[in-house]
Amino acid sequence: MHISLKREVSRSHSGRFGIGLLALITAMALFAPLLAGYDPLAQSTAAFQPPSMGHLLGTNHVGQDIWSQLVYGARTSLLVGFSVAVIATTLSAILGAASALIGGLFDRITMRVVDAFIIIPVLIIMVLLAAYLRPSLWMLIVMLSLLSWQGGARTVRSQALSIKERMHVSTARCFGAGRWYLIRRHIIPDLSPILVVGFIHSLRRAVFLEAGLAFIGIAGPGSVSWGMMMKKALDFSYMNAWIWMLIPAGVALSLTIVAITFIGHSMEPAMDPRLRKEVEGEAIA
Amino acid sequence: MLKLVDLRVSYGSDQILNGIDLDIERGESVSIIGESGAGKTTLGLSLMRLVEGDIRGQVYLDGEELLSLSDTAMRDIRGRRMSMAFQNANNALNPVHDVLGQVMEPLLAHGLGSKAEAREQAEHFLKRCGLSPEKFRSYPHELSGGEQQRVLIAMALVNRPEMVILDEPVSSLDAASRVEIIELLQEMRRSTTMLIITHDISAAAHLSDRVGTLYAGRIMELGTATRVLSNPRHPYSRALLRSYPNMTTVKDLQGIKGRMIRPIPGCPFHPRCTQAIDICGRETPAMTNVDGRQLACHRGGIISLLETRGLSKSFKTVKAVDSVGIHIEGGETLALVGQSGSGKTTLARLIIGLVDADGGDVYIEGDKLEKRNRDFYRQVQMVAQNPGEALSHRMTVRELVMEPLNIQDIGSKEERRLKVARVLEEVELPASAGFLDTYPHHLSGGELQRVAIARALALDPKLLIADEPTAFLDPSIQAKILKLLMGLQEQRGLSMLFITHDIAMARKVSDRIAVMLDGKIVEEGPADRVIAAPQHPYTQSLIGTASHLHLWSDSDRLHHLHPH
Repeated sequence: MHISLKREVSRSHSGRFGIGLLALITAMALFAPLLAGYDPLAQSTAAFQPPSMGHLLGTNHVGQDIWSQLVYGARTSLLVGFSVAVIATTLSAILGAASALIGGLFDRITMRVVDAFIIIPVLIIMVLLAAYLRPSLWMLIVMLSLLSWQGGARTVRSQALSIKERMHVSTARCFGAGRWYLIRRHIIPDLSPILVVGFIHSLRRAVFLEAGLAFIGIAGPGSVSWGMMMKKALDFSYMNAWIWMLIPAGVALSLTIVAITFIGHSMEPAMDPRLRKEVEGEAIA
Repeated sequence: MLKLVDLRVSYGSDQILNGIDLDIERGESVSIIGESGAGKTTLGLSLMRLVEGDIRGQVYLDGEELLSLSDTAMRDIRGRRMSMAFQNANNALNPVHDVLGQVMEPLLAHGLGSKAEAREQAEHFLKRCGLSPEKFRSYPHELSGGEQQRVLIAMALVNRPEMVILDEPVSSLDAASRVEIIELLQEMRRSTTMLIITHDISAAAHLSDRVGTLYAGRIMELGTATRVLSNPRHPYSRALLRSYPNMTTVKDLQGIKGRMIRPIPGCPFHPRCTQAIDICGRETPAMTNVDGRQLACHRGGIISLLETRGLSKSFKTVKAVDSVGIHIEGGETLALVGQSGSGKTTLARLIIGLVDADGGDVYIEGDKLEKRNRDFYRQVQMVAQNPGEALSHRMTVRELVMEPLNIQDIGSKEERRLKVARVLEEVELPASAGFLDTYPHHLSGGELQRVAIARALALDPKLLIADEPTAFLDPSIQAKILKLLMGLQEQRGLSMLFITHDIAMARKVSDRIAVMLDGKIVEEGPADRVIAAPQHPYTQSLIGTASHLHLWSDSDRLHHLHPH
């Protein structure tokens, strides 16, 4: 019996749905140049065109093809989302676990930093930083990551504090295991459910934040973002055509977030064999 | 009186006795105990010069060397100054003569008096040996084993020799005859010097001033009966005592691993010894004086494996462990008994290093433990109370049992795989692929605890700390796990610190018991002593409240409560 994440996720309906949806969106992002048909930033035809055979979703206020913007927007959204989630989760795992295991001054300092960041609204920092730094896409990712690990670190710390007192960790210590081995083989695996939850949470939050920041005008120069598309749509709310500009980006963003949530939900049993349902042919005699 | 110097006996290339040195004072009684095949009977026969084989060395009887005497001179000594009561097993009596005649024979052979006088003497000794007069004219086959034994002893005594060698005087007898013969010999002890050769340890305890243990033709330990039998220092002596059923020992019987092989270089016992080191296989240990006795062991006898001195730990104002000193010897089980909250588990965690001590030291094989490094964890392992918690539920059995080897980085991948299979076999679990890939939550409580034990064994530790290892198991599984631990002790010579609240269980598995109350050891001693004569009121109450099964009839029960 080997635990396969893939099988675990594909076993649940919501998991299958989430994976399917996210795969679709990811494929969209990956094959954007093939699917787009137009340069998303170039004016392709007249502005405010309704959907037609030439422009599947119509065009926006400057005549850019909305379908092309949508598929390129998926790139930005997922790139920012996954990068931030990976960096923030790694940071929260390392800093949270280290706080719990090292304790003392290191723990106190880390936790005060976490407190400080938690009370300051992320959006305000981002707006201020963006105003001064005019961030590129990668800068944006780094900034979002640095502002996203704190909550996770606190959760990880409290979990790790309880895990390190668990008997199987003590037993491994009695085999002469060093701190690094304990973290790698016992603490991180036991943290994995909350890390997965944290990762999914970060991913969702980052996708949402990226859209939100773009909505208020903070986006990497030259990139296409769903948030920006919606912002532009609202600018033209006095025209009938605005709805064609708003709906595609709004629906795409919602579906992405729904897909991520469903996957997160279905992954939890895989991380904890005790939550697994027995499946025919797999039971151990 | 009798002095043996480097006595060696061989049959062809078979070396039966390998340099026996023994001094027996006049009036003293010495027992030689050992397994069959150790050379006990050969020892007796060679003193009488009755062995076919080649005898070397010297045997002095009152300063007179016997081995260099002529056959005639020896004949004069044999049966007169020194006699031997043979083992009854192989038809020591002549079937065609009546027993009186046979007892008369030594007198007549040495020409000591007339036939009438000889008869009188023979009748006197037969009577003294407890044979009823109407059986004097019986033939050996008409007598019971006990009666035959009495005749053999009478034959040995009839010439009033200075020295009597008794070969297995009580081994083939039923309990009642055995006691009578022991009483007879105890009476004889006052007037005769005796060398008793037996595997009956209780007889040796009753009949001798000193006891020696003989293994593969060598004396392993020699000292006063009290010292050797109540506190054996040689691993062989202890193993012999452990495998001897008696009414005193409360621990279950344990055997000795392997079987006697000879000849081998080095200490003859080293293949079966649980604390053998390199030198034991190379050099024969010399007899040295240790702890008031003579001992042939390179390691100075049973080693002291772990000792704590003044170990203390407080949690806020509670003294969980208050200046505790315990010691555990190699291959021994110390049971730590006490109610919950008495500090037992904290003491275990202090020793293994899961909790830092406020004060006190731990000594491993006599050396102060400065730092708990990987080497320490190769020597000391722990089996926790709840295997369900101690085993990570994310790992398969294979990963779990291999984990200690991975952590310690022992062996190649293939060696680790073999080691896993081996320790699983030791704990009586299958090493099949299907089982190895099982996750803990598919296993029963008993299987889980076996996996936990296998993990601890993978590092070949010398001390196993077992913290209530059966607390989560039902009685039948519990018994099996306890048997398993006892078997491991026999095979590997594991020392154990066995923690339990159940003194009834402690009694069955431990050599010594330490009773803990409020962080202190209030009583400590051999398990049989602590159970039979508890000194501290708390120990008494523990024993009083332990499980008993009084399922006798009412009259028995009344009698038990109010004897007489």
